[in-house]
Amino acid sequence: MVRAFVLLALGGPDPPRPAPCRVLYARAFGTPPGTTPPGPGGPPRQRLRRKEQLLAVARQVASQCRLLQSSSGRPSSPQLPQLPDEPISLQDAPGGLFQLPPGDPFPERVTVAWLSVVALAFALVCDPQENLSLAEITLRRLAPRLLASLRLLGPGAEVLLRPEAADVLLDRLLPHGQMLFLNEHFLQAVDREMGIKASR
Amino acid sequence: MFTAAAESFLKQAREIQEEELRRFASRVAAVLQGPELGPEAADCLQRLHLTVAATKYPRKLDGKFVELLQTVLCSSKSPEQIQVLCAAILREMSPCNDLILSCDEIQDTKLLSLVSSVLLAQGNKKAEVSAVGQRIVKVLERRLPERQGARHLLPVLSNVISLSPESLTEDQTNVVSKKMADWLRYASIQQGAAQPSGGFFSNPRTRQPGPVTEVDGAIATDFFTALSVGQYYTEDQWLNVQAFSMLRNWLLCYGAKGLKTPNSDDKSGTDRSVMSVVSTTSTSSRLLPPKDRLREKAFEYCQRLIEQSNRRPLKKDDADLQKACLIEAVTIMDIICKQDSSYVYRAVSFLKILHGRISGDVTYARALLPIAQFFLNHSKMAAVDSDAIYKHLFTDIPAQLFHNPSLAFEFVQFCKDNTQLFTETSSIFRQSFPNLFKFLAWNSPPLISEFVDLLPLLLDAGTAIEIFHLLLDLPCLTAALDIQLRSTALPTSEKAACDPAVKPATCLEAFRHPLYKSMFQYLLRTKSAPEDAPERLIPLRQLLGSLASNPRVVQCAETVPVLLELFFRVVAEFADGPLINQLVVLLLQRSDQLYEIPAFKDDVYRVLSSQLVVLCKLRPALVVELSTEILEFSGTVSNIQNKEAIFTHMVWAIGEYMSVSYDKRCTVEQINRFFETLEAMLFEITQLRPLASTPSYAPRAISVLMATLTKLAARSQDLIPRVSMFLSKMRTFVQSPAVTSVYCEEDLDEILIRATELMNLLKMPSVAQFVFTPPVDVAGTRFQREVNDSLPFALRIVTRLLEPAPGFMPG
Repeated sequence: MVRAFVLLALGGPDPPRPAPCRVLYARAFGTPPGTTPPGPGGPPRQRLRRKEQLLAVARQVASQCRLLQSSSGRPSSPQLPQLPDEPISLQDAPGGLFQLPPGDPFPERVTVAWLSVVALAFALVCDPQENLSLAEITLRRLAPRLLASLRLLGPGAEVLLRPEAADVLLDRLLPHGQMLFLNEHFLQAVDREMGIKASR
Repeated sequence: MFTAAAESFLKQAREIQEEELRRFASRVAAVLQGPELGPEAADCLQRLHLTVAATKYPRKLDGKFVELLQTVLCSSKSPEQIQVLCAAILREMSPCNDLILSCDEIQDTKLLSLVSSVLLAQGNKKAEVSAVGQRIVKVLERRLPERQGARHLLPVLSNVISLSPESLTEDQTNVVSKKMADWLRYASIQQGAAQPSGGFFSNPRTRQPGPVTEVDGAIATDFFTALSVGQYYTEDQWLNVQAFSMLRNWLLCYGAKGLKTPNSDDKSGTDRSVMSVVSTTSTSSRLLPPKDRLREKAFEYCQRLIEQSNRRPLKKDDADLQKACLIEAVTIMDIICKQDSSYVYRAVSFLKILHGRISGDVTYARALLPIAQFFLNHSKMAAVDSDAIYKHLFTDIPAQLFHNPSLAFEFVQFCKDNTQLFTETSSIFRQSFPNLFKFLAWNSPPLISEFVDLLPLLLDAGTAIEIFHLLLDLPCLTAALDIQLRSTALPTSEKAACDPAVKPATCLEAFRHPLYKSMFQYLLRTKSAPEDAPERLIPLRQLLGSLASNPRVVQCAETVPVLLELFFRVVAEFADGPLINQLVVLLLQRSDQLYEIPAFKDDVYRVLSSQLVVLCKLRPALVVELSTEILEFSGTVSNIQNKEAIFTHMVWAIGEYMSVSYDKRCTVEQINRFFETLEAMLFEITQLRPLASTPSYAPRAISVLMATLTKLAARSQDLIPRVSMFLSKMRTFVQSPAVTSVYCEEDLDEILIRATELMNLLKMPSVAQFVFTPPVDVAGTRFQREVNDSLPFALRIVTRLLEPAPGFMPG
């Protein structure tokens, strides 16, 4: 099962503007039982923990992304495409897999699959035995659709103000954290249902 | 892009005060209670969501308002966007005490899915997971009309069982298992009909859709699967894909439990499998219990997927899905065989053929892992020899595909999941460790923590030395892999044979040059091969120096200190005398033979020096046994500057352990020999020279030399006058202008204080002897063990005893 999906802004120490890594959108799929501390202060603490766990994942992703970029000698702040609607090629988009040990930050071991586009990254937090090939495929499908639907490469802040757009996309491609083995035609059918124009 | 606008929105949202939020919430409540829920309602909810989500601290929303959100969520009059937003806000606030939501009365499956997402986020304090699970199964049990969308429910169910498998009773799992078997096996093989677009000009007679096809365009040859293609899909085809998507999880949760049929024990396993080979399954399977039937259908589904993955897809991206399906299918087969061993025989032959088909194709490399896992789990039972599979996996794959980060990650996970493989010394897995390190050398950041777990498994008395060299040369390996990749990418025309007489101009040329070829081959070896003459790689290391600033090489170099420290920690647990001695000798030797990356060398020296001390503590006798090598090392002046850390710690160890109480073979001659060597060194570095040419040495090197000389003198008391005289000259040294210009004042003060204390100690030879050479039982006490800390303390006590300050009288 996928425990969570995170969309983050990478931030970074480089000029022109050093910025912290920020979670722009995050969706956890179910709260594991037994994690809420007892007492009236329990729920807020559980929520706080969830937010911090997701932020910890985001920071790790940002760090791995930076390291991967520097190891391959690519510039760390790639150029934006000229037009926000220009289709982004994910062919060379950096991405990877890494594991987070038990306790840091989730009680159990998790594997994180991530994909980065320009200054953003998309991450899936998976259980260790998950099909990671499918996770990577799922990310490659979510990324362009989210980029388009939320106009993530433009100057606006729709990602913050239109969570339902992201929710609808996740509901089709990753419903309740369930990754789907959708071939290209199935995917087209999904796009049709969502009213997305086919790119090919 | 994280823009200024977004940053500003976040800031504003975080700064909203409680009072302002309260007012906004009542405005939203008013809008939500209005007749029409239009764009204004959506806008309000969006802003409210951001306000709640922007901060990790709780935002208090009035209980009545939260109830209103839930009402709006469940109301059939609410537009979908509003419902989704309400659910998003409620989830964002979860776990939430004010929830009154219940899924019991909800009929619409889409709404049920949405409400479930809120309920499942509550952490199951009030058994919400179970309630959702019950409701979903109940809805699934009814025969849903065609468009009702059971497909919205399966993912919820999958989430439920991931969170809490106990939520469903056995009856319920049987109900679902039955349905899943049908969805997997009996989905329609006709394409779905296009939705009629309606409108004036639409043709009410839609064209009859044809059969589904395979990914390569051929008409489907058998039942529908996730790799079946159509323009439009029917509901049951959706359910087919979803059922497969959750199949693994389902089988893991419910496939094995309660299997108490008479044929389930091992003895009759062979009979059953023979039976199942002979008879076709479709007629008899209806009589099977639901679990077994699902297993049967699941197995067939996986077989079909594996066959379908052989086809060349028309759409390029389908190839990726084929591989993902392949991996999933093999994994599920593995699980099925674990749960019912009668499937093993069918699976084994099938998977062997599959392996034969894909083993030569690098694009299928990731699928080799679950296949190998299957054979590891079941080949014994099937009495099948799968060594060729493991050999190919461990010998060829890492060498060819180290640069594929996903494969690298999964391969290392495979190793970690099967640690029992590494316990057999002669096994192919263990012998392939040089290959495994290629993954780390190339993909250091994501894999370093995995290798911290893996390294202890690879280390034993037989592999320790080779791994020691390997770790020190890990960045060289990265450089060599880089060259290998570039060389493979060259067109054949450029791969001309090299003229052995001409020295290679570039690393790339050197790769094929006879002078360097065998060195490269050794570094890039796929199997363990202990090297007797590690200095053989010196020319290669020098050659690779041009790549020392390559970012990947630098990243790899940063992982080495961590692994080295771990290496020594593990080795200390099992190493015997000879091995420890060998390591110390090699440590000193290799300190000269390191890849030239400055930060790398410093870090390695730091680790080696502290580990040297650990080894000496483990086996103090080595100082005597290896006196030749140690004398040579500590007598080389350049080591004081180039390898200060190791030098200092080595000299300290000499002072500490060159004593008859640690090794009876320690003779006065040996002590004298060491004394003379170290005295010469101290003399060399404290010589007063003309101003311009005074080099500076690490102050602690001077200190430790003085201390060690004193310690040795305490044991061979003829040497005391020489040391005392030397120490008395330190005052001149410290005060000379040539020296004060090069060293800082605090350091010089410390050196002088130390020299004085040591001199004073030598004035009382028997005390000195006790302090510096305690009988071995005293040496075990804390006071003596922390010598680096307690020696100055001891010296100060003695100094005070000799020169009592007024008011300080010993008791």
